[in-house]
Formats: sequence, C-alpha cells, structure tokens
Amino acid sequence: MLILSRKAEEEIRLGENITVKVLSIHNGQVKLGIEAPRDVRVVRGELYAEIGQANLEASHADRDAAVKAAAGLIKPREKK
Amino acid sequence: MKFTNRQFGELEFDEDHVVTFQGGLIGFENHRKFLIVDDEGSEPFRWLVSLEDGNLSFPLLDPGLLLPGYAVDAATGGGKTVFVIASLRPGVESSTVNLRSPVVIDNATRSARQVVLDDEGLPLQFPLVPSAAPAAGR
Repeated sequence: MLILSRKAEEEIRLGENITVKVLSIHNGQVKLGIEAPRDVRVVRGELYAEIGQANLEASHADRDAAVKAAAGLIKPREKK
Repeated sequence: MKFTNRQFGELEFDEDHVVTFQGGLIGFENHRKFLIVDDEGSEPFRWLVSLEDGNLSFPLLDPGLLLPGYAVDAATGGGKTVFVIASLRPGVESSTVNLRSPVVIDNATRSARQVVLDDEGLPLQFPLVPSAAPAAGR
C-alpha cells in the first residue's frame, strides 16, 4: 500500500484523469472531493462490500424460487 | 453461439445479444459477458446469465413493476434499460430487490454497468411485496 500525507486543499492524482482532493479535516473526519470519469465507480468502501454481498446472495437464486416469487408477486398486488 | 447454464440448459444466441459489463458486477468483477434470458415460467423475472460461469445467474426485475416513479440518472436520455437485481429467499415475503445499485444496459451497444445511486434512502433490500402481515393484526 502506498501511503501519502496530504493537507487540506492538497490533491492526489490517480492515473490520467482521476483527482482526489482533501477539502477539509474536522474532528477526525476528512472530506474528500473526487473527480473521475463517469464510467469509474466511486463508492464508499462499506457500501461496496454490502452491494457485493447482495449480489452474492442474488446469484444463489434458483429458477423454482423465482417461479414461486413470481406467483406471490402478482397476487398480493392484484388484491389491492 | 451456444452456452450451457446449469438452470436454463443450452442457450443459443447471437453475438450481438451479449451484454458486456466493462467493470463486471460488484463482487463479480471478473465476469464481463452476460445474456438476458427470458424464462416463461418465472415471469416477470428475467435472468442475467453469465456466459463465463454456467452456475451463475441473477434474477432481474423491471423496477417499474414495483415502483412506478423509480428513476435512474444514468438512464436519462433514453435508449437504456434499467433492471434491479432480486435476492430470492424462501417465501416471497422475505425476498427483496436492490434499489440502490441497479443494472443499466445501453440498448444499442449492449454495454452495461451496475451503478450505485447517490440517494442513501434507497434500500439495498427493498421488499418484493408490501409486508401485509404486521398490518393485518391492527
């Protein structure tokens, strides 16, 4: 892991077109500004892990479960 | 072209139907090539089937079926199809869809991304059906 020290207002460049700027540091919280191309996904680390977990769970679905869910999905909504 | 999936058997498809995720799905970054499979028995679910791993498929739903107002910035301007990924658990009541990070497919190029929406109010686990049970007792 590369470790760099940066002060408020200072930046880090990642490759050609990604910039991470330290905007402010207050009470143990660092505010970062990130500029990146649209196709680069910028996500908080813990959210990324949660989405990965949701995807993993989704990947276990089998067709039979979907057939049952589909039946349940349609019926309760029709009643309302 | 042909590919065999554990659940759907042999799939025959044209190369221009292949959906490519440049960055993969989150947690599945090594899987790039997928096919959208329509399976009559499990409608309205559709399936995002990996063309690199015959064991891997994700159930998809049109978010408009659950939330008519659901909108995704990345899909504005048209020409894009948005799906949410479902987590199916035993019992439809405990099954959910991920509203926070939908899949956006460009209809023309078949390139796709799993985006992460900025709105922190969008749940990763949104119930597939409104939970009727707790309200019924009141």
